[in-house]
Amino acid sequence: MRKLLVVAILTLALVSFAALGFKIGLVTGTVSQGEDEYRGAENIVKKYGSEIIHVTYPDKFMQEQETTIARIVELAYDPKVKAIVICQAVPGTVAAIRRVKEFRPDMIFVAGVPHEDPEVVGSVVDVALETDTPGRGITIVDLAHKMGAKRLIHYSFPRHMSYKLLAERRNIMEQRCNELGMEFIFVSAPDPLGEQGLTGAQQFILEDVPRQVAKYGKDTAFFSTNCGMQEPLIKSVLQHGGIYPEQCCPSPTHGYPGALGIEIPADKKGDYNYILKAINEKIVENGGAGRFATWPVPVNMVFTEAGVEIAIELVQKKIKANDMDAIKTVLNRVISEKISGYGIKTITRYPNAGNYYMITMDSVIFGVTQF
Amino acid sequence: MEKLKKILISYAVPIAFSILCVSAVLVAQIPPIFLASEIVRRLSRNTFLVLSLIIPIIGGLGLNFGIVLGAMAGQAALFFVVDWKIKGLVGILVACLMAGAISVVLGWLAGLTLNRAKGREMITSMILGFFANGIYQLIFLFFVGSLIPFRTKQFLLPEGVGLRNTVDLYGTVASALNNPWMIRIGTVRLFVLPLLIVAGLCLFITLLFKTKLGQDIRAVGQDMHIAEVAGINVNKVRVIAIIMSTVFAAIGQVIYLQDIGTINTYNSHEQIGLFSIAALLVGGATTRKATIWNAILGVVLFHTLFVVAPSAGNRLFGQPQVGEFFREFLAYAVIAFALAMHGWRAKKILM
Repeated sequence: MRKLLVVAILTLALVSFAALGFKIGLVTGTVSQGEDEYRGAENIVKKYGSEIIHVTYPDKFMQEQETTIARIVELAYDPKVKAIVICQAVPGTVAAIRRVKEFRPDMIFVAGVPHEDPEVVGSVVDVALETDTPGRGITIVDLAHKMGAKRLIHYSFPRHMSYKLLAERRNIMEQRCNELGMEFIFVSAPDPLGEQGLTGAQQFILEDVPRQVAKYGKDTAFFSTNCGMQEPLIKSVLQHGGIYPEQCCPSPTHGYPGALGIEIPADKKGDYNYILKAINEKIVENGGAGRFATWPVPVNMVFTEAGVEIAIELVQKKIKANDMDAIKTVLNRVISEKISGYGIKTITRYPNAGNYYMITMDSVIFGVTQF
Repeated sequence: MEKLKKILISYAVPIAFSILCVSAVLVAQIPPIFLASEIVRRLSRNTFLVLSLIIPIIGGLGLNFGIVLGAMAGQAALFFVVDWKIKGLVGILVACLMAGAISVVLGWLAGLTLNRAKGREMITSMILGFFANGIYQLIFLFFVGSLIPFRTKQFLLPEGVGLRNTVDLYGTVASALNNPWMIRIGTVRLFVLPLLIVAGLCLFITLLFKTKLGQDIRAVGQDMHIAEVAGINVNKVRVIAIIMSTVFAAIGQVIYLQDIGTINTYNSHEQIGLFSIAALLVGGATTRKATIWNAILGVVLFHTLFVVAPSAGNRLFGQPQVGEFFREFLAYAVIAFALAMHGWRAKKILM
């Protein structure tokens, strides 16, 4: 019996550490910058063991580009590393990839959530994965409209509006609002990387939402382009009324647990059925039914995990980088492993940017969708 | 024995740093070739910026955080060179000339301001950098494409006004200084031209302090009142020192960015002041005394630590993100440590 058990454990270990015969470099932010991708990386390391080399880029990635570059280049010096996955692909990624290609032209690169321009990123990576930011300009407004919004307030600041896709989405949102007979209001918020810091930006959101609700009424949808602003935004929209169609980076774990005071027990971490149910209960309890929504799984976690799976299959030559259906299949597989019954809603290519794929997922509306 | 003690005290910071670097290298176990090629590359990329700090220190103006102004001028010049599609070495030359011209004006303004804030130059120059950053954002987010003509649509935001957050130098001036003369030793590549330019600046600084102007700068740095009594126009000399520093910083930023290959429009310049100053301090310079060797040694030590610290942290604590926190902690602890050591050393020497 004992022998059988040992054999069983060994087989299990072999299966779970499916030997790849090569290594994958994985670069993510730290927990303080973006928890979803870091946790995604932890899942991947658990699955493949030491064949994944996980490193992080600086928290102050905007200023410390040199370090991001050095970390990516360092991975390429290991001859066993055949592919590098970077999520989020912060500024410096393109420069790093060009340097790696100088001495390792065979290296495969998968970038999740690129911060640099799509055309530039698309020209150097094998596969780029991003939420369909321009497409969301339509889907977010449509969702808000469906949830009963008469106007949409868009919080952002100049630095974010210098990101091409974010600026484009803002314009699309405004246009879509006009088409649907909704009012579009752009509100300039303090930049969290500015001198007031994140606290200043969060304070502004907490003070501004009640002001706007008093001015425009409760059928106002709120959207912000910055991750740090989501938690105070959810909190004050729930308290003062309003509609909250989606976060900047749609995910059940982004902003909701913090704003609603939900503690996720250790054994339920990564159990999205449980997490969605817990959020649903709290939202309904506080009278926000039908007015809050999100995507069923964290998109950055999906990009990190699917990015590695795509990289592995590219190295093994099982799929081709320009095969959109194959990429979609991998993404769907990763999502359905987390929560069954959901997957990719749309996948498109960014024009003239190589294999730069943009996706959207179905939304879940708390108090309406059955969990 | 006394002599040894003196040497130990005056080189305390570089010695402490060398020990830290060696232990971090041993712990990190990163490929030695990677480390070598990174350090060689950073020597050709960052030394010019660090050297630009030396003249104001000797002139008694302390650490010039205002080199950020020069860095902004360097970037501004590069934007236009890229827009006009001037390629290669000519592009770099045009960028340096333009950046130089802009930074003469900026340096002059900064110098005038610092003359009104004698004794508080460091904090004033730091705040000047923040202030200039606001104007920089205004110009490149709202004036470019509207008031200032800019042809390359791919670098502009969708509305045609304001620069995007990345400006790609690839295909124009990226590696324009690195490529013409490169020595390969295995995978380590030595870029001769930027290193020669750095050597040229070293020579210029050495020769400068042999001229009348150089002697005046040194005299002003030692004691402003005595210099004034000796008939030196103190304010003018200080302004000249700041102008030179700003111009060199602008050229330094052009060298830095051609190596990086992309400009992070609104952030590339922000950390330049702090990191250059940290490197110089690590090399053993003080707020009153700095040499070329301090700059070179500083770049080697500071950047070695920067390269190996994340891996060292990763190995020590077994968690990738702790490696990153470890590096950040070390980088800023360095600056605090170096400043504290100077205070302590200054007191020791006085006693």
